[in-house]
Amino acid sequence: MNPHLVLLPILIPLAGTPVALLLRRRPRAQSAWALGVMLTTLLVSLRLLGVIWSGGQPVTFQLGGWPAPFGITLMGDLLGVTMTVMSALVLGLGLVYAAGCGDRCITYPHFYPLFLALAAGLIGIFLTGDIFNMFVFAELLVISGTALTAISDDPNGTEAAYKYFFMSLLASIFLLIAMGSLYVAYGTLNMADLAQRIAAEPARQPAPLAMALLFAFFMVKSAVVPFHFWQPDFHAASPTPVSAMLSSVVVKVGVYGFIRMTTLLFVPVAAPLKTALIVLGVVGVIFGGFTALGATHAKRMLAYSTLGQVGFILVAIGWGTPAALTAAIILTFNHSLIKAAMLMLAGAVASRAPVKSASFDVITGMGKAIPFGGVLFFIGALALAGVPPTNGFVGKLTLFGSGIQAQAYPALLLIGVFSIMTLMYVIRAFQVIWWTPPAEGQKAKSKGDALLAPAILIGLCVLLGLWSEPLARLAVDIAGSVGNPALYILTALGGR
Amino acid sequence: MDLLQALAIGVMFGVGVFQLLRRNVIRTAIGMLILSNAVNLFLLTAGAYDGIVDAYTNLAGQRSDALPQALVLTAIVISLAGFSFVLALLYAISMRLGTADSDEMDRLKH
Repeated sequence: MNPHLVLLPILIPLAGTPVALLLRRRPRAQSAWALGVMLTTLLVSLRLLGVIWSGGQPVTFQLGGWPAPFGITLMGDLLGVTMTVMSALVLGLGLVYAAGCGDRCITYPHFYPLFLALAAGLIGIFLTGDIFNMFVFAELLVISGTALTAISDDPNGTEAAYKYFFMSLLASIFLLIAMGSLYVAYGTLNMADLAQRIAAEPARQPAPLAMALLFAFFMVKSAVVPFHFWQPDFHAASPTPVSAMLSSVVVKVGVYGFIRMTTLLFVPVAAPLKTALIVLGVVGVIFGGFTALGATHAKRMLAYSTLGQVGFILVAIGWGTPAALTAAIILTFNHSLIKAAMLMLAGAVASRAPVKSASFDVITGMGKAIPFGGVLFFIGALALAGVPPTNGFVGKLTLFGSGIQAQAYPALLLIGVFSIMTLMYVIRAFQVIWWTPPAEGQKAKSKGDALLAPAILIGLCVLLGLWSEPLARLAVDIAGSVGNPALYILTALGGR
Repeated sequence: MDLLQALAIGVMFGVGVFQLLRRNVIRTAIGMLILSNAVNLFLLTAGAYDGIVDAYTNLAGQRSDALPQALVLTAIVISLAGFSFVLALLYAISMRLGTADSDEMDRLKH
């Protein structure tokens, strides 16, 4: 089996970035190129997933031929590659939306190169097996995401971008201190090697400091509640195709990090982390529900809803049983599809409003121009709330099932009660946009963003709801593979 | 040497955090820069940097580790790019809003 396959999902968008920059004078060619690059990335990562899943063995590649743990290891295990497939899929559909989007910022020559750089950074985080390399990819992700928001048509884009960048720089400082501390304590930065050494000697100083700071880094990345305040501003001010990416796949960086921390890096000392995740998750579900209910802006409402939905995933990671991890994977995958589709639909409605804004008093009744969008939004709303026959139902069902199995009744009761709030706020948004008649003299524009990308995403949501067996089987296998880190460590260190 | 490095890191952290919490956004950006340099110094210290001894010399018991130096180099490059980007953003914001006071940048509240 060719180990270079694990390099390709990072290399293709990274190499596509300068080429897209060269095509800056030909917007149509640039758009087609970016779409082609993301499609190739998706196909390559699907192939990689096929190889790993059927082989039952992670794929590893040592950059520059330096043996692990001295060189940089790229590590394609089942969890990372599934996240890669999810990201490539959603990013590709984001580009489809951008191609049919009327925003001015899409026509800037730097939009597509930045988008591809964002893809390379995101996929790099999921596939690297080295903490410092993860820092580099995270910086690539942050800088391109910030630039994409700063060029937004929304005049507040720069302010939101600054807010986010400020928080991300602080998070990077956390990560650097965590890395320094881990290096002092264990003398390595390779994740597999670290896991091995931490398992052998968990109490070396200053490893607890590193653990706390790494946790804080991932909390900022996923906008977990005390560190969430930049997120609604940032996600609401960025251009629609970008905000659909940020609130769906980019927030999953933290989720991925938490799974890695509790199942690979800090297994012997993971108990306090898991407790913290359950508490933060429950707080996120409650807080996200209330703030989304109080929001007066469709995109902000969806961004606040991300806090709640990520909360469900964190609770599942906190329970940490194989069944709960299965639920976490299913929820992660489904939330990415649903939230991207919902944000695209909110953006499509806003693009038809007389003033370009997703504020509820502007877009009241504006959905009447696009009844098809209403159908999609309604299905998406059901999926987000977890009503059958959508994929959201499968995720919530496995989550509650695993909670009963883990006998975690207080947390289960709380998230069960507050998950009803999801239904309340999405249905309210649907009512405002598609049922309420528009205000006097307000008329929707006849032209707006195309609905192809959200239609495909919602189609996938329904498909994964009706035929959920492949994803569920994959999630079970992922939970099995992260539950056995020995195989990961053995493969990463070259079978020693 | 250890004490000196610890003191330097501590002072830089203090100054950085203090500037970070100021109302003027340009001061906060400068605070961020000082803070990231404090972290670079911390990484350097993590590699038992001696200042006069080369990396990978064969003297037993006193050699500087090369890896943190490579890390610091990468971190410096990234923080350079990040800082210039922050300054460009701040320029755009303060031109648009006509202020550099973070309390008056409140358009996003609505």
